[in-house]
Amino acid sequence: MPAHHPVIPAELPRQNVLTWLRSRYFATRRDAAVTIVFAAFVAWILWSLIGWALLDATFAPNAGEVCREDLHGGACWSVVSTRWRIVLFGLYPFEEQWRSAIACIVMVIVAVLSCLPWFWSAKRLPLLWTAGFAIFYVLMRGGFFGLAEVTEQNWGGLSLTIFIFAAVSLLGMPLAIVFALLRRSSLPWIARTMALVIDVIRSLPLLSIMFTFAIVLPFVLPEGLTGDKLYRVIVGYALFFACYQAEIIRGGMQALPAGQEEAAKALGLGYWHRIGYIILPQAFRNALPPTINQFVITFKETSLVTIIGFFDVMASGRAASGTADWNFAVVEMYVFVGLIFFVFVFSLSRYGAYLERRLGVGRR
Amino acid sequence: MATNMKWLGAAAGGVLTLAATGAAAEGRLGTVLERGSLLCSGHNGSFLGFAEVDDQGQWKGVDIDLCKALAAGLFGKSEGHLEIVPISWAQRWPALQSGDIDVVIKVSGWTQSRDTELNLSYSTPYFIGAFQAMAKADLGAERIADLDGGSLCVAAGTSTERALATFLETNNIEAELLTFENGDELRNSYYEGRCDAMVEWAPSLAAGRVDAPDGADNHVILPDVIALEAEGIIVPEGDPDWLDVQNWMLSSLWFAEVEGITSENVDEFKANPPSETVAKFLGNTPGYGDRLGLSNDWAYNMIKEVGNFAEIYDRNIGEGSPYGLPRGVNSLYNAGGVFYPFIID
Repeated sequence: MPAHHPVIPAELPRQNVLTWLRSRYFATRRDAAVTIVFAAFVAWILWSLIGWALLDATFAPNAGEVCREDLHGGACWSVVSTRWRIVLFGLYPFEEQWRSAIACIVMVIVAVLSCLPWFWSAKRLPLLWTAGFAIFYVLMRGGFFGLAEVTEQNWGGLSLTIFIFAAVSLLGMPLAIVFALLRRSSLPWIARTMALVIDVIRSLPLLSIMFTFAIVLPFVLPEGLTGDKLYRVIVGYALFFACYQAEIIRGGMQALPAGQEEAAKALGLGYWHRIGYIILPQAFRNALPPTINQFVITFKETSLVTIIGFFDVMASGRAASGTADWNFAVVEMYVFVGLIFFVFVFSLSRYGAYLERRLGVGRR
Repeated sequence: MATNMKWLGAAAGGVLTLAATGAAAEGRLGTVLERGSLLCSGHNGSFLGFAEVDDQGQWKGVDIDLCKALAAGLFGKSEGHLEIVPISWAQRWPALQSGDIDVVIKVSGWTQSRDTELNLSYSTPYFIGAFQAMAKADLGAERIADLDGGSLCVAAGTSTERALATFLETNNIEAELLTFENGDELRNSYYEGRCDAMVEWAPSLAAGRVDAPDGADNHVILPDVIALEAEGIIVPEGDPDWLDVQNWMLSSLWFAEVEGITSENVDEFKANPPSETVAKFLGNTPGYGDRLGLSNDWAYNMIKEVGNFAEIYDRNIGEGSPYGLPRGVNSLYNAGGVFYPFIID
């Protein structure tokens, strides 16, 4: 009796594109019909989108009249090519906008550099960011080195959005670590007070926190303590950020087996060594996906500051299309602002994905 | 112990006295003159015709011109003496009370609760805005009553929404109200056909109609006035000197219009004043500024910089602007409107 051993190929034989297409999308008549209908639908949407955004669109600056005569035509990117400086720099004085541009680029470079593992040390990272903020402040605020002074009130556009985001993250992160540690304190009154503070702040909407810090605080605090509205809002936002981030870090810590800390104790490590070398690095690795999430949310929610009268990139976009000449091109302006947000948020999440691969989150 | 108590008491008394003198200091006019610059309300974005940003990021609009006029009246010229602070709608009252801004010139209607509960002081109104409806022309509606059984788009939570509801109730009109959070959304929904008519502040309505995607001719602004809103300049209550400056600034702009004084011919008028009153008005003879604590040629400086009220109107929302809004009820009394200058004696 000859034994029939079924032959199992180690790998499926290589298919060419046609057979692959056929087996996946045109296997039966019904499959073919569904495929064709959906492909036609997607192609139609893509075609009209490309037609609107590229083929029929008007790109030349100051071509508002051309767009107006042809309102059923494509997008009027002319509004962007004429008024992009308002979106990027807001109300910053026109002749000085190069300063705002450089400051913005410096901030982005610092952010990119701090993503490189070489900078991840307790000395280099703070040094890099302090230098970055100093350059940003001197350029934007002026008043030194013959630069004309521009008060915070006139900062705006993308530079302001990036500044708020960077300052909130930088202030919020250390605060979050402190909050998380206090919350895990073995002294019950510290842990409970911290838990209460975190829960109270988390139960308030961000908008009301910003409003309180921007507008109510000057009535309560003595004159010299208030500072500019911009910095008050950043402190309030950082506090809000820290409370959420503290809970994320705590989640990362709780995922660690208790044996880790016990082993560290058994080795005779002190509190700060245990936290610094054993607990926090692992907690951050565990908490990486929600942390990136938190950063993305923080970046997007910076646009809330328009409610308290800041000219961030969103408000600037509205101002850019909000004049008699360009009021018909609101959609184009929103698309442009949306693209700016997309570029930043997308690179942020791609960097998060790179970090996850590098640290092996999800594998170990 | 006793000496300590005495010392504490003296210190507390001192602090109180200090606080009292601080509060009684010259008022906002003195503060502004001392600071050397006026903090005026801007906008967080733009409000068509009243506060917009040009290609170079400079503010312009009716409200902005009034800020400029005020600064020019106080300091001789607005350049270097005026800061337009971007302010949202929600933030304008607290910002005024906390001193972030000196005055609110931001198309703000005179309502009873603002006047009484919020402790604000209104100047004489400088603009009358009506709430009106714009309907699709092919509906053939001539009045809002013709829209009975239809649907109306309106901005949510505004005084417009409340006025519209009252109007429909009193006139026994049954219509469905669709509400929207912001102006762009409201306008787009109307143009996409979500509702038969859109109710908004008339100047915004006219500004939006110009840009109707299917052409302005396909939309008509119905003549019914749902409610009138009187827009004034707002200062904190209990500061009569500062309020006087606002009122006389507006009056000066109207006075110049009555007399035909414009930014272009103001120098001729100053050289050859046609009357004793105009001579006083332009600061040739003393009095017009002294009484307010300003320089006597403050009205001259103002007119020189921004022109009279007609010029401000035309440049920003009237014939000289893309909006081309007829001035209507906002004209002077001698042209069928409701505005008039006060008497200069």
